[in-house]
Formats: sequence, C-alpha cells, structure tokens
Amino acid sequence: MTKKLNIWFLLSLLISVIVCIPILTVFISFFENTSNYYEILKETFLIEYILNSFTLLVSVLIFTLILGTGTAYLVSFFKFPLSNFFKWALILSFAVPPYIYAYSLTAFFDNYGTAFTILTNLFGEGNYNKNIPKFDGMIGAILSMTFSLFAYVYILSRASFLYQSQNLIDLGKNLGFSKFQSFYNIILPGARPAIIAGLSLVAMETLAEFGAVDFFSINTLTTGIYNSWIAFDDLAFANRIASFLLLFIFSLFIIENLSRKKAKYHFNIKGGFKQKEKLELNGYKSFCAFIFCFFVFFMSFLFPLSQMLYWTIKFPENLFDLQVVTLLLNTLYLALLSSLVLIIFSLISNYGNRVSNNKALNIMSTLSISGYAIPGVILAVAFITFIAWFDNQIIKSLGFLSIKKIFIGSVLGLVIVYFIRFYSLAFNGIKSGYEKINIAVDESAYLLGYSKRKTFMNIHVPYLRNSLLFIIILISLEIIRELPITLILRPFNFETFATTAYISASEDLLEAAAVPSLFLILIASIFIIIASKYILRETNE
Amino acid sequence: MSNNFFEVSNVDFIAGGETKVRNVSFKIQKEGDIVCLLGPSGIGKTTILRTIAGLQKIKNGDIKLKNKIISSKDINVEPENRNISLAFQENSLFPHYTVEKNILLGAEKNKGKRNQQLSLKQIVDLLDITEILNHYPHQISAGEAQRASLARSLLTQPDLLLLDEPLSNVDQNFKEEIQVKLKHILKSLKITTIIVTHDSYEAFYLGSKCGIILNHELKQFDDPYKVYHLPNSIEVVNFLNRGALIPAKISSPKSLESEELGTITGNFTKPLPNGTNVKLLLQPDDLQHDDKSNLKLEVVDIKFRGTSFIYTLKTPNNMLLPILVHSHHIHQHEIGDKFGIKRPIHIEHVVCF
Repeated sequence: MTKKLNIWFLLSLLISVIVCIPILTVFISFFENTSNYYEILKETFLIEYILNSFTLLVSVLIFTLILGTGTAYLVSFFKFPLSNFFKWALILSFAVPPYIYAYSLTAFFDNYGTAFTILTNLFGEGNYNKNIPKFDGMIGAILSMTFSLFAYVYILSRASFLYQSQNLIDLGKNLGFSKFQSFYNIILPGARPAIIAGLSLVAMETLAEFGAVDFFSINTLTTGIYNSWIAFDDLAFANRIASFLLLFIFSLFIIENLSRKKAKYHFNIKGGFKQKEKLELNGYKSFCAFIFCFFVFFMSFLFPLSQMLYWTIKFPENLFDLQVVTLLLNTLYLALLSSLVLIIFSLISNYGNRVSNNKALNIMSTLSISGYAIPGVILAVAFITFIAWFDNQIIKSLGFLSIKKIFIGSVLGLVIVYFIRFYSLAFNGIKSGYEKINIAVDESAYLLGYSKRKTFMNIHVPYLRNSLLFIIILISLEIIRELPITLILRPFNFETFATTAYISASEDLLEAAAVPSLFLILIASIFIIIASKYILRETNE
Repeated sequence: MSNNFFEVSNVDFIAGGETKVRNVSFKIQKEGDIVCLLGPSGIGKTTILRTIAGLQKIKNGDIKLKNKIISSKDINVEPENRNISLAFQENSLFPHYTVEKNILLGAEKNKGKRNQQLSLKQIVDLLDITEILNHYPHQISAGEAQRASLARSLLTQPDLLLLDEPLSNVDQNFKEEIQVKLKHILKSLKITTIIVTHDSYEAFYLGSKCGIILNHELKQFDDPYKVYHLPNSIEVVNFLNRGALIPAKISSPKSLESEELGTITGNFTKPLPNGTNVKLLLQPDDLQHDDKSNLKLEVVDIKFRGTSFIYTLKTPNNMLLPILVHSHHIHQHEIGDKFGIKRPIHIEHVVCF
C-alpha cells in the first residue's frame, strides 16, 4: 500500500516555514558584515543605550511585578468594596498603549498642562509650574510602560492564584503561617511559572517598545535598531542588536528554568482540588486593599482616559478635523482581517501538529512562535529586506515585473507582518484550547467513522468556538494598539488611530493626538470588556 | 485459509517507539466470542487494543478480521474504515455534545448495518444512564462517563468491540449487575469483543478465552478454567496470586511427597519421572480443613470474603499456604491457633513446575 500524503502535515509545515523566514533573516544577519555605524556607536552611545535599556527593563519588571501580583492577590483571595469590579476593570489598562500613556503623562504634568489648569482653577493664578513634578525622560517611560503593561502579570498570576487549592492554604494555616507567610511561602511560589510568564511578556514588550521611548527621546537599544536602519541603512547591525535582545531574554528564561530544578508548580486536580473561600476584609485592611486597587485602576486607565477626554472636549476642532469614520474602518479592517487570517492558519497548523505528531514540525512551530519576541520595527524591516532581495534576485532575474508594490506599502504586506508578529498569540491560544481536548476524543471520532477533516470541522472547531472568539479579540486588540509595523508598512494615505496619534504627537501636537488616542482607548476597551467575560469564565468565576 | 473470525499472528505491539508486547498470536474463532486480556498496569494491554483499532501501526506479523488483513507491515486500514469500536478507559466523550448526542453518534455510524438493532432506550436502561442523558461530559462522574462511552461503542454494533477497562470506574455494588447485563447483550447481539482488564474475576466471568500478558509477552491464552487451574508458568501463578508453590518430589505417576504436607495424590497435568524435584502449586481450594487431623499448621492471617474465609497457614519451614473454608463452618479460628488439614491430601489437578 502506498503511503498517503498527509496534507495536514504539509500545510502545517508550510505555515511554519513562512512565519520563520523573517525570524531566520534576523538571526542570519547576525553573521553578516555591518557598516561603520557599529564603530561610531561603540565609541559614542552604545554603553548609554545598553544602560538605558537595562534600567528601563529592570524598573518596569519590578514595578509590574509589584502591581500585577499585588492586585491579583487581593482580588483573588479577599472580598472588599468593589473587589468584583476591579477583577475585570484592572484588565482595562490594556486599552492604553505605552505611547498614549506617555502623551497623557506629558499633557498632565507639562508646563501649563492639565495639572497647572486644575491648580489655577482651584487656587487662582500662580507660578505652579516649578512645583509640578515632571514625569518625562526615563521616569516617564518607566511609568508609561509599568501602568500599560502590568496587566500581563495581573492576568496570568490571577489565573494561577485561582487554581491554587484551598487545601494548600488550609495546610499553611495548620502549620501556623501568617497571611504574609502563606503568601510568601505557598501562594507566590505556586504561581511562579505564571508570574514569570507574565514578566517575560512585559520584558519583550519593554525591549521592543518604540512609541514611548521615541516620544521621551530615550536612547535605548530599540532606538539604536531604528537609527541603524533609518540613518545608516544598516539592517545587519539592526538585526544584530535585536538578536542580542532576544538572546538576553532567552537567557533569562533559561536561568529561571534552571533555578526551578525539579520543583513542580501544578496541582493534580484528581488529588482533591478545593475551591477557595474568599476572606472578607474589614476596617483599615479593607480600605487599604480598596485604595491600592483603585490607585492602580485610576493610574492605568482612568487617568489617561480622562486626560484624552479632557483635551478632546477642550479642543473640539480636532474632533471635527479628523476623519473618524475612515480611521475607524481602517483600524477595524486591519484588525479583523489579520486576526481572521491568523486564526484560520493557526488552527490548521495546530491540527497539523496534532495529527502528525512529528518532532521536526514541533521544532519548526516552536521557532515560528518566537516572532512575538522580535520587535515590530525589526520584523517590518526584515520583511522589507526579504521582499527586496526576493524581488531583485528571483523575480526580476526571471523576467517578471517587480512585486515590491504588492507587499511593501500595502494591506497585504501589513497583514503578513502582523501574522508573523502575532502568530504566537494565535498559535498558543489555540494550542491551549486543544490541550483540553483529550486525544482519545479524536481517536473516538476516527473509530466512529469520521475522517480527519470531518473530525476537525465537526468536533474541534465547534468545541474551540469560544477560544477562537477570544483569540480574535486579543489579536485585534494588539493590532489596534500596534504602532511601528503599521507606521512602516502601511499604504500611502492609509491611517489608523494609532498612526494618526503618533504623527500628531511627533509633530508636538499633543492636543491633536488626544482624539485618535481617545477613540483607540474606547475601541480597545470594548474589545477588552467582551474578552474579560471569557477570561473570567475560563477561570471559573 | 483459516476460518477464524479474528486473528493476530506474530505481532509486536509498539507504542512511542517502544515494543510493549512481543510476538503475540491469538485468535477468536467464532463471531460473538468474548476474549479478555489480563495483565498488570502498564504492560501494554491498551497498546494491543489501540493497535487492533488501527490507532497504532505494526512492523511485523499481521492482524486479520474476517479473513482480511487490517494491519501488517505494509497494510494499515485507517481506523475509520475498520468497523472496530474502542471504548477508552478515560473520558473520550465529545465535550461539546450532551451525553445523549454522544451516544447517538454511535448509532449514526452503523445505521441499518445489522438486522438486530439495539435501541438507545435499551442501552441506556442497561447501563442505567437515563438521568444523565441531557448532561454534558464535564457534568458527570468518571464512572458515568465510562458507561456513556460504553453505550456509544455498543450502539455502533461493530464487527469487533474493544473495551479498555470498561468498568474500572464503576462502583463495586453496580459492577456485577452491569457485568451480567453486558455479557447478555454481547452474546445476544453476537458482538465479538476483546476486553482488557486487570480484574481476574471480571475476565473469568466475561471471557470465553483469557490471555495473560506478563513480561512483555502473552504468557497464556486459554479457557478461564484452564488459566486458573492449569496455569502454564510460575509467572502466571504469581500474577493470579491465588496459590503457593511448595517443594515436592515425584514418587509415582499419581503421587508426590512434600516435606511440609506428606504424601499428596492427584491427577498430574503432565507426566513427570519419579524422583523429580518440583514446585507444586497449591491453591486455596486444594486443601481441606479437618479439626480432627493430626496435621496441624499455625494460622498467621485470616481473610473474610463473605461466603468464605481464606486462612493463611505457616508450615514448620515457614512456608505460607492458603486454605479456603466455607464461612458457615462450625467454628472460627484465630491467629496463632493450630489448624487441622484433612488427610490424605488429594488434589484434582496436580500442577508442577
């Protein structure tokens, strides 16, 4: 009997290869010759870039750890005023990307900014500017990223806290642990993998952040990447810095993994999972818990929202100047089209992996999901380089017309690079949905006479329906907020809320940036509210 | 060409690149026969079922169903084309369908294939799952999921039904009732079945043949009576754990001498020359109790089994022997008591190794 061609395996392999191309381009460039930009940089700003990146990374990690685990701990284990509201409201901070947070921070604390206006309205005319702290430069960047990114740690550690069995907490009480000792010795170590996962996302986002550091004019390695490409046209060096960034992040993961040794952090549900009983806080403890959560919620969401809202009301002409409907349609078009493409291909790829059970394919898939760790700037540039090379070396040499225009400065190009950047979100999201489907379910389907295609269409897709909807929302959210890829690869005269806000801000027209920023926050909030229902249901609440 | 309904010939069963059970051969002669495979956990019983179902491939030997090869080195009929049904030990119900819908999927597969149709109501009553028909798989217990899965498999009315520990999660008090009903329905519908279990009582009751898998081999494949009374190796004896092996010497074609128990007579399962040193299998029902006997051994343990007691007795050489006594025996013995064994000792089947 001839061996049948496994179409699922081939499709899955093809998808992984396509996603891997720009990622491999980045790594291969590591060994290419660079321009003299490296020499110039080495003698001038390289140390500063590294130090700035390091300071930014460490500070943001510390603050997001405190805010993320602190709020997650409070809402998971205790009842206090509005604790149920904070449970999902804290996720709303995702709606505010770091660059919009940076605009709000500057708008509020700047000379004659919103803080100045409030003080003048309250206490009359005065020279308040010298007494208003200025959160710009490094501090501004740290604050913007902390409040914008802490939700990664919050969501993952909260989910982990919810799955911790009451039995373990009761055991802590039985051993005479105080609440702090229980938190430090039982709860926190149990949630360690989730917290590390959250922090690693924060680390990747911080090192890849472009909008906020550009706005505050901080020289980080990301700026170095951008400059080496823009000013020196030295993609190889840009890629080399990006590779260093990646290696740095991966080594952090490895160190963390090694430090775990053989400790296990998950619980055997069959071994008696017991639902937690939330403890009711009273008196000052209740007040402190409320104040802490409210502070984080206010700073991460209400503050930027109200600042943008205030400026929109104060300068209504900006609202009328803006083509809101066009921007809205462009933003949603990009987000929904890309997420749909991502979902379809990630589903096929996941199913291919599942039915083929092939080690080489698994390795390819793992490599292909590392796109999320590569800064958007680098991916966009790597894509342009690849298309240019392909066009010059292959297409033109075969005598065909140039294909550059099809891919560069087009929606197709944007969708492809979004695909590579956010493939890990879709792939991992679907993978975690698939992990809940016992392989015996597939096998039962085959034994009931279902073909692989019928099993996929009739069993898997309906079962994964909710997960898919959630992933679409999550990816849309990322694309709505995404800046560098859109900025570099968008078609001429094709703007989204994010690019409009960035262009206004870079022209020092912060008031004009307020309107698109406000719309961006509002749309993202709607997506988050829909998604939060899924997140809360997934965690049995 | 043989006329066996199902046949496995010289097959190595492989899972995860590892050979789980080597060189297996057995056959089911008639349609409707039930075969039970017994063995300890992790030995590869499930791998055998998965391979027969087509979920694992083989590299040597062949598997035939109705005289057609369904698995060999070169042939592998896809699981969906075999008309073999496998009820998994773990929950394999489709999570997004109700129990009823899950079961009905089984009926859809074999619409009109057999003359004697089994209705949903019959199967649901048989397995007592009426109450959970509208539930989703995550809302039912492991035992209920197992019964629902069994119902789905039964409704497909396959050529060959494979059951992997079908009643392992079912409550003990309900188990025997289901065993009786299951056997009845399999027999009346003539569904040829292979059942994997680690419960020897279940295997002896349900199976017309039993296979014992030990040390990666099919050690014995025989009638349940023979497997129990005439085990073919010490490994099988140890696995069934229902007897003791004591040293003895053959003294005649019908007797042997034991230092522990004296002369023992009986029917030898295989002839052995006089003077041969052997290990004699003594099963709990081989010895009889007699308070008046002068052969007395010390009681070291008592197991109450409802209808009977199993006393464990210690010989002067510290060997432990089991003996079964009806629980309505006139009086009970305590640990440390001297316990009389009836003489002369006569054993129906003398099994020596």
